[in-house]
Amino acid sequence: MSRKPALLLVPGLVFILFGFAIPSALMLLAPPSTPTADVFARLGAMLTDPYDLAIIWRTVRIGLIVTVACVLLGFPIAYLLARSTSRFAGMWLALAIFPLLLSNVVRTFGWLVILGSQGAIGQLLVILGVTDQPPQLLYTELAVVLGLIQLFLPLAVISCYSAVAQVDAGLDHAARGLGATKSQTLWKIVIPLSRPGILIAGTLVFAGATTAYTTPYLLGGSSQRMLSTQLFSYASVSVDWAAASATALIMTVLVFLVSGLSSLVSRKAGVTA
Amino acid sequence: MTNAAEFSGVTQSYGETIAVDNLNLQIEEGKLTTLLGPSGCGKTTTLRMLAGYITPSAGTITINGVDATRLPPEKRNLGMVFQSYALFPHLTVADNVGFGLKLRKVPAAKRRELVLHNLDLVGLAHLADRKPKALSGGQQQRVALARAIAISPSLLLLDEPLSNLDARLRVQMRSEIRRIQAETGLTVVLVTHDQEEALEMSDVMVVMRAGKVMQTGAPATVFTAPANRFVADFLGYENFLATADGSLLTVRPEHLRVGTAGGTTGGAPATGLNLPAVVTDSVYRGVDHIVTMTATDAAGQQTTLVSTTRRDTLSSDQSGVRPGDRVLAQARDHEIVRLAA
Amino acid sequence: MRGRPVLGTLAVLGYIIMIVPILFVVSTAFTAGDALTFPPQGLSLRWFGEALAYQPFISALVSSLQLAVVSTALALLLGVPVTLAIQRGKIPGKSLVEGLFLSPLVVPELVVGLALYQQIMIGLHQTSFVALLVGHTVLLLPYAVRVTGASLALADPAVEEAARGLGASPLRTFFSVTLPLLRPGIFSAGLLSFVTSFNNVPLSLLLQSRQFRTLPVTMLDYVQQSYDPMIAAMSTLILAGTVVIAIVAEKTVGFAKIFGGINK
Repeated sequence: MSRKPALLLVPGLVFILFGFAIPSALMLLAPPSTPTADVFARLGAMLTDPYDLAIIWRTVRIGLIVTVACVLLGFPIAYLLARSTSRFAGMWLALAIFPLLLSNVVRTFGWLVILGSQGAIGQLLVILGVTDQPPQLLYTELAVVLGLIQLFLPLAVISCYSAVAQVDAGLDHAARGLGATKSQTLWKIVIPLSRPGILIAGTLVFAGATTAYTTPYLLGGSSQRMLSTQLFSYASVSVDWAAASATALIMTVLVFLVSGLSSLVSRKAGVTA
Repeated sequence: MTNAAEFSGVTQSYGETIAVDNLNLQIEEGKLTTLLGPSGCGKTTTLRMLAGYITPSAGTITINGVDATRLPPEKRNLGMVFQSYALFPHLTVADNVGFGLKLRKVPAAKRRELVLHNLDLVGLAHLADRKPKALSGGQQQRVALARAIAISPSLLLLDEPLSNLDARLRVQMRSEIRRIQAETGLTVVLVTHDQEEALEMSDVMVVMRAGKVMQTGAPATVFTAPANRFVADFLGYENFLATADGSLLTVRPEHLRVGTAGGTTGGAPATGLNLPAVVTDSVYRGVDHIVTMTATDAAGQQTTLVSTTRRDTLSSDQSGVRPGDRVLAQARDHEIVRLAA
Repeated sequence: MRGRPVLGTLAVLGYIIMIVPILFVVSTAFTAGDALTFPPQGLSLRWFGEALAYQPFISALVSSLQLAVVSTALALLLGVPVTLAIQRGKIPGKSLVEGLFLSPLVVPELVVGLALYQQIMIGLHQTSFVALLVGHTVLLLPYAVRVTGASLALADPAVEEAARGLGASPLRTFFSVTLPLLRPGIFSAGLLSFVTSFNNVPLSLLLQSRQFRTLPVTMLDYVQQSYDPMIAAMSTLILAGTVVIAIVAEKTVGFAKIFGGINK
């Protein structure tokens, strides 16, 4: 085994090169029967077209809102669970992780029941006499944002949890002993020390939210197009390979940009720390 | 006297760093040889080359007169006990000990007998059906030993086998290993950084430093006549004094006595050491009383001297020394070791 | 949570967003009425019966299970040797190789799906099952490499050396020592891979065909056409299956441990 370890790599390498790396590169830069120049021409056109720009901007905006919300909601859950001495803490953690195993489709259907015209919130508002007609909640940006928060919050909880769990609870006690209040301890000790985990959480959520398909498809519809739903419609409705590749390029660059930025920030923080 | 194993001109280098440098070493049959030295001295690399886990960059290793330099570990028939014990966590104690026997196609009935015999040897026959996780560190250590012995190895190799045990158990296991060696007549090579362990257990001690052998010999010889300053240092000598002719003298702290200017404790030696010194510190530490002094040696070098004396043999003027006192550092002739510089 | 009003409130809000929509799906599945409304009208199991009698769902379920099982097996078969090479072998450019095998986690799934659609289905004229198998396996490889790698990294390498010293050949050592040590890691990776493949939408959507369509894609299609509680019933059945898997995971290797392997 130790003598020919390279041989063990061969089948996996061949598979990932021919089943992933090469096709993905071709798809992005040279789709079938489409000159590469066309892809870049479409890319240029998209970056100046108001309709396409609106989709890009909506994708980025939704991605940022969802990221901030997931960190804002996920860190408290992670922090309280990591510092909890309750014997139910493990159960609560499991409850937060469990949705990751559950189908996105199933999780997203819940919002149809809640936000739909016959749904819970609409009916409640009518019963309470706030409105005569149930308001349009589905196919709004709010619906997409809510759906994406639900989808990616467990990811944020896990990343933040492992970061906070690594911060010695003794440091909290030491800070309190030196006269820091609870919130000073949180802001001056726990958050700075768990920043790498928070950064990872943010990156994962942003990458997930900007490329997710099911949620914008079900909850956003055609009025709330994002890059992912737009890409699918170029590929399967209009079969416009140049446009599909250009959209995919934008999506990929966006994800790589944010992951690169976050690893740069964490590396810089590592140097100064 | 035959050799169970022999290193000739063996070198092991990883890129720039040389772990073992042109090693020539004979492992005598039926003896317990220890490789002693600080971490990074090449002792573990030497053992792993003997076991076959590392191939030397140069030189040859013979086992029972046969060239084994490039033989894979499974073809060497050596029993190795690892520092981490390396018991198979998914097998019971009995299956761990029987692992090598099964590979040698020993029939089941005979195997069971051998497993029990070897577990009995280490006093663990009653734990045969447990999993390693259910054993204490000391018990795991014994199982590892039984597993290594069970295959009737031509050599038993022990890589810092006692370093993960607590102090009391460690001392107990030293004599246990000696007993097992005596009962089985095995040739044993033991790697350790603990000089006390080496002195107590070895027939032959090999002191290593930076990939080279510093001294080889029986513990009593090496202890009383260290070959150089490194070996003396490692074996607990302090008080190094240069002489006018360029050689180096050393005295163990427990042999160095403090004489006061008025009268001396042991009587002034006619020959030997009688060096004026100034006390810098004087403290009690449990059974010992420790006096630290500075003196100037024959070569004109300022040097620090340490003397330890058992408190119950202490005289009143000795215990009364204070920092700043002028005293005499004294040792008898036979207590002074002359080192090659 | 007491004494931390702000953090407590945010945490409660987080749990509400994560869990409440799932409860709504379950509650509407038991309705006796015809519409996906809230509150449900009466209590009945009729929609479960209809979901299980609806042929497209059943054949899609079979397809999804087939695909998940085969792609999980293939990912483990390719990924475990890679893990062994990375963890135990001295190969040059180790971190580069590991990065390559983890990269499918970073590239958007829609991009991978479209790439395979163009290259394998159009370019090589393969069936959608072949394209899906390749796509899902690519997607699962990071889990196979990471999760089994995490369990191998915890194992003492001296254990394998001990087996060699006792007379086992490298192959024998692998089967009698390394593989048993890897078993919990392989089990976790397999579980995670199965669930990931079963739930996947983007790849399954792009690479579907009339002959081969997975359950999540079929459910997405269905909800576009008819908006009735059958979809809630099917979702509830999937939820029940997922709960069973989660319990198995918790009882065997521990829930958090499985996910601990991915997010490091």
